[in-house]
Amino acid sequence: MSLASAPVLDLAGLTVTYPGPPPVRAVDDLDLRLAPGRCLGVLGESGSGKTSLAKALLGLLPEARVEGRLRLAGRDLAGLDEAGWQAVRWRRLALVPQSTASLHPALSIGAQIAEPLRVHEGLARGEASARAAAALEDVGLGAAALERTPEELSGGQRRLALLAMALVLDPEVVVLDEPTAGLDLLSRARVLALLGRIRAAGTALLLITHDLDALRGLADDVAVLYRGWLAERGPAARVLDDPRAPFTWGLANAVPTLGDVKDLRGIRGAPPEPGEVVQGCPFLERCTQAVAACEQRRPPLVAPEGEDGARLVACARGGRVPVLRARGLAKAYRPRRGGRRRGEVAAVDDVSLEVGEGEAVGLVGPTGAGKSTLGQLLVRLVEPDAGSVELEGRDLLAARGADLAALRRRAQLLFQDPYEALSPRLSVAEAVREPLDVAGVGTPAERDAEVAGVLAEVRLPSSPAFAERRAHELSGGQLQRVALARALVLRPKLLVADESVAMLDPSEQTKLLALLRDLQVERGMAMVVVSHDLAVVLRVADRVVVLDEGRIVEEATGAELLAAPQHPLTAELLAAAGRPGALLGERSLARQAR
Amino acid sequence: MAERRRPAVSAALSGLTLAALVVLVFALPRALPGDPLAALDDPTSGVAITDPELRERVLAHYGLDQPLPEQFAGYVGGLATGDLGWSIARNAPVSGLVAAHLPWTLLLMGPALLLSTAASYVLGILAAWHRGRTGDRVALVGLTALRAIPEYVLATLLLIAFAVLLPVLPVGGARTPFAEHGSGLAALADVGAHLVLPLATLTLSLTATLFLLQRHTVVAVLGADHMLLAEAKGLPLRRRQFVHAGRSALLPLLTAVGLQVAFAAQGAVFVEAVFAYPGMGSLLLEAVAARDYPVLEGAFLVLALVVLAVNLLVDLAARWVDPRSAAS
Amino acid sequence: MSAHPTDAAAPEGGLRALWASPTARVGLGLLGAVALLALLGPLLLAHGPRELVAAPLAPPSAGLPLGANAVGQDLAAQLAAGARTSLAVALLAGAGTVALGGTIGLAAGWFGGTVEAATMRVVDLALVVPRLPLLVLVGAYLGPSTPLIAATISLVFWPGTARIVRAQTRSLRTRAHVRASRGFGAGARHVMRRHLLPELALVLAAALVAAASRAVLLEAGLAFLGLGDPTGASWGRTLRDAIEFSGLFYTPAWQWWLLPPTLAISALLIGLTLTGVGLEGGSNPRTSRHRPGATP
Repeated sequence: MSLASAPVLDLAGLTVTYPGPPPVRAVDDLDLRLAPGRCLGVLGESGSGKTSLAKALLGLLPEARVEGRLRLAGRDLAGLDEAGWQAVRWRRLALVPQSTASLHPALSIGAQIAEPLRVHEGLARGEASARAAAALEDVGLGAAALERTPEELSGGQRRLALLAMALVLDPEVVVLDEPTAGLDLLSRARVLALLGRIRAAGTALLLITHDLDALRGLADDVAVLYRGWLAERGPAARVLDDPRAPFTWGLANAVPTLGDVKDLRGIRGAPPEPGEVVQGCPFLERCTQAVAACEQRRPPLVAPEGEDGARLVACARGGRVPVLRARGLAKAYRPRRGGRRRGEVAAVDDVSLEVGEGEAVGLVGPTGAGKSTLGQLLVRLVEPDAGSVELEGRDLLAARGADLAALRRRAQLLFQDPYEALSPRLSVAEAVREPLDVAGVGTPAERDAEVAGVLAEVRLPSSPAFAERRAHELSGGQLQRVALARALVLRPKLLVADESVAMLDPSEQTKLLALLRDLQVERGMAMVVVSHDLAVVLRVADRVVVLDEGRIVEEATGAELLAAPQHPLTAELLAAAGRPGALLGERSLARQAR
Repeated sequence: MAERRRPAVSAALSGLTLAALVVLVFALPRALPGDPLAALDDPTSGVAITDPELRERVLAHYGLDQPLPEQFAGYVGGLATGDLGWSIARNAPVSGLVAAHLPWTLLLMGPALLLSTAASYVLGILAAWHRGRTGDRVALVGLTALRAIPEYVLATLLLIAFAVLLPVLPVGGARTPFAEHGSGLAALADVGAHLVLPLATLTLSLTATLFLLQRHTVVAVLGADHMLLAEAKGLPLRRRQFVHAGRSALLPLLTAVGLQVAFAAQGAVFVEAVFAYPGMGSLLLEAVAARDYPVLEGAFLVLALVVLAVNLLVDLAARWVDPRSAAS
Repeated sequence: MSAHPTDAAAPEGGLRALWASPTARVGLGLLGAVALLALLGPLLLAHGPRELVAAPLAPPSAGLPLGANAVGQDLAAQLAAGARTSLAVALLAGAGTVALGGTIGLAAGWFGGTVEAATMRVVDLALVVPRLPLLVLVGAYLGPSTPLIAATISLVFWPGTARIVRAQTRSLRTRAHVRASRGFGAGARHVMRRHLLPELALVLAAALVAAASRAVLLEAGLAFLGLGDPTGASWGRTLRDAIEFSGLFYTPAWQWWLLPPTLAISALLIGLTLTGVGLEGGSNPRTSRHRPGATP
């Protein structure tokens, strides 16, 4: 965490345990620092310990055991008695609670805001009231709210009143618990603008939220909590735009943001029950890249590979791993037509591409841009003229023999035309089983079980009658699913789908795209989706790569692409997507989001 | 339970109730077998009349020989001018008897309601705050049991404890009979000493119910978000307890006090009976014993009026405490 | 009259849950003791409650376990007879109140609209009427007898029960599973039997106990005020006789004359209250304490 000055709030090894049975660790060994005039965002699901953290900071957890260091401007707060806490609370550390029901229903707003002034500063009624009025003016609510009861204010106004109350003693730190929850967009914008002003005035903000957009605009640093445990921590831009902890990645994909047309994805499974004792990584069960080491012990905080250490990730694998790393790939064809040589045509020209765990990259471009060639290069169905392909850290191009066979199984290609991908002589079961037979995986009974499992996973009937059908007895959608099952049965980490939905009718297309998305949630593969249809790609891809004449001309997220296409070709493709009206709307939405 | 009514509505309701009671009091003696002067025919009552001619004259005197509507008009007209009728047994105006007895009952009921409300407010908050601890448990069990036993039983037990076993307080009455007090202060002290046990009985009885309600309300309030914020604001304990938690519980408590007024009146009747306290209860009981129906009816109506009036006052207090109840 | 008044109303599971609550066990124990006194008293005691059998204010002895009052009546016999009266009134008035209030409250909550509005106005009115003075008045005019007192008590107390039952019925009617069952075409009879009555059983049982306890209180109260059944025995009457005996506290007789009925009334009423508390606890499973870990 980059620090301009000494931290005003300094937590080390903070642990909050609610007595059992079973004892619940709501906050687990947390290290955080917050400097004056900065904003630290705390991100997490519900139940991640965010609210316990806020309560612990104010000493509001008499029912729990709070351990570790808790320093405010160099003074340790741990072990303060009730009188000591009363001197800290509000005067130095104020809270904006999540619930707008935190205002007393029967007391006027003015009385409630004036209360800390009267209690802590001993002001007379009139003077306190005048200061309360000023505080209400400051937050843009106006002194008219002074005489109102909370019931007479809207949710947004109540939030502003709570903010005015928190600021009335000019504390060093303000803890904000979901300050934008439940607000309409205009109220939210007002609250965020106000928070920006407070921070600029030198107050330190601890912003607890799951509003990613709010964090993007406001937070300098972000800490991500998972079940009370720090999953990732670092500068806001890095953590939010390039999340490395598997949990942060999942969370970022699960939160709707304006301007995004990509389908939302959840995180598979559910967090461990409160009170469950976890040996290894708490995210283990939900992680798609877990290895044996993850079960052994808590992952330490480490800098991801190639980073300077400003961001730390608690992951035994150093954060989300790159599944595919292609560098400088080139492939040229020498067309021979009528024996005349017309020189070489570069199909793919110096293309580098990285796809991480759980990520989907879309490859778009006009016909002949080299999309399909690139797709085949990535799984080494075509040998490149130059460049390298690394699959899970191993060189795919250098592998030979058994190594190559094993590596090939980790990368599968799904073809455009399902009618050609399946042999008409094989039954569904035989076709899906074939890769297992070839690889010699398990006993025949195990293979049959695996086949049945993968057929269910792609939502095909598991009846024996269906399994006996041949290719010509199936619809296009069913055939494509069988092909997908065949590709998935070896549990690959990379799936390249080459125009896989192009030949399906719209309904089947939608179902297959949804299926791909769900498979990615469950299996966390790296996916490369090749398509000429930008609309399709924007739905599934986290990142879009635009190819023209074998070269990458633009690489951006879907939202960025929609909002401001950089390359003329991209703009052309967007226009050709045939929804100019809809696009216009999305574009303006995307602009608002920035 | 905690339904809030607008004062206008509750005033109208009270008026309606009063009207219903007047009709009831008028109709009951006339609708029942025998007639309102049944006592005159009852050889066991002290006012039995055997001479038929005298009986006719008495009937005419009370207007009982007239048609019912005229009787009713006369009755209501009399009530409106403060004429509650004529006591047969004492041969005195009922209003005069009521005027002599009512102050004692008010002296008992008023302070008992105020004291029990205040005690319940404070104790309820403290018990809820320390819920589950020994003090709370003792108060909970003790007051639950106390709520179960009737006022006259509690009165008897207190009487035995503080006037018989430990003779520090007088056994009964409102004043020491035939005593010459040197000063007004001494006379006041005498009245006070006689008031202690009846007042304690009624206050304890009322507190039992109100305390349980207040504790329940405050326990519910303690989990409220605004209580956490009050603590976060660094407010001292007493302020959080009695301003923040208490303010939230005040309205339900006042509503309950309104409902308790009728029980207070009823309790006063019993307490007066045990301590031979010369209030409305004693008047009522004497009237019952003597079958003195006009006194019975008059005392009943006045007591009902007192209950309704106090209820109205409580409603006004609730409106003052929480202006929201006016808006709803 | 047989065992406890709660046996009839509480459903099987409810009864077992009731027994699981220590509060209710103490309550049921006290009720059982009073019932035993009522049942076994006449069998074990030699005299009737009104017979003049001993010297005035005779102290307790072998034949007279609780001594005699000022006219020489057996106080133990009066205590046992008073227990019978109290329990009879409790059962009759409790059943009457619950039948009346339950039916009216169910109708109001079920039909809603005008029926509900009208009923609840009546309830509102009835709730502000000072009950005891009214009972005194009615008792004075109608002449006292135990069933009449029970009937009067039912007539005075049904509104409270009606109000609770109406509220419960209304909340049950709007609950999703009841609306759902109406949605798949279940008739009123089915909904009542399947969804309402089982849920209401505990509420009604609690109302029965509450009404019984008020009936006991008032019966003894009326007798205490001299408005009881002159031919019957009552704890309230024994109490009144004792209190009215001038000079009671100059003799030790208050110990066997005044104290036993005082304690007996307390025992019965505390027993009923604790049983009621147990029933209410059983009808509301959400009495667990605030768990801080639930919302971290």
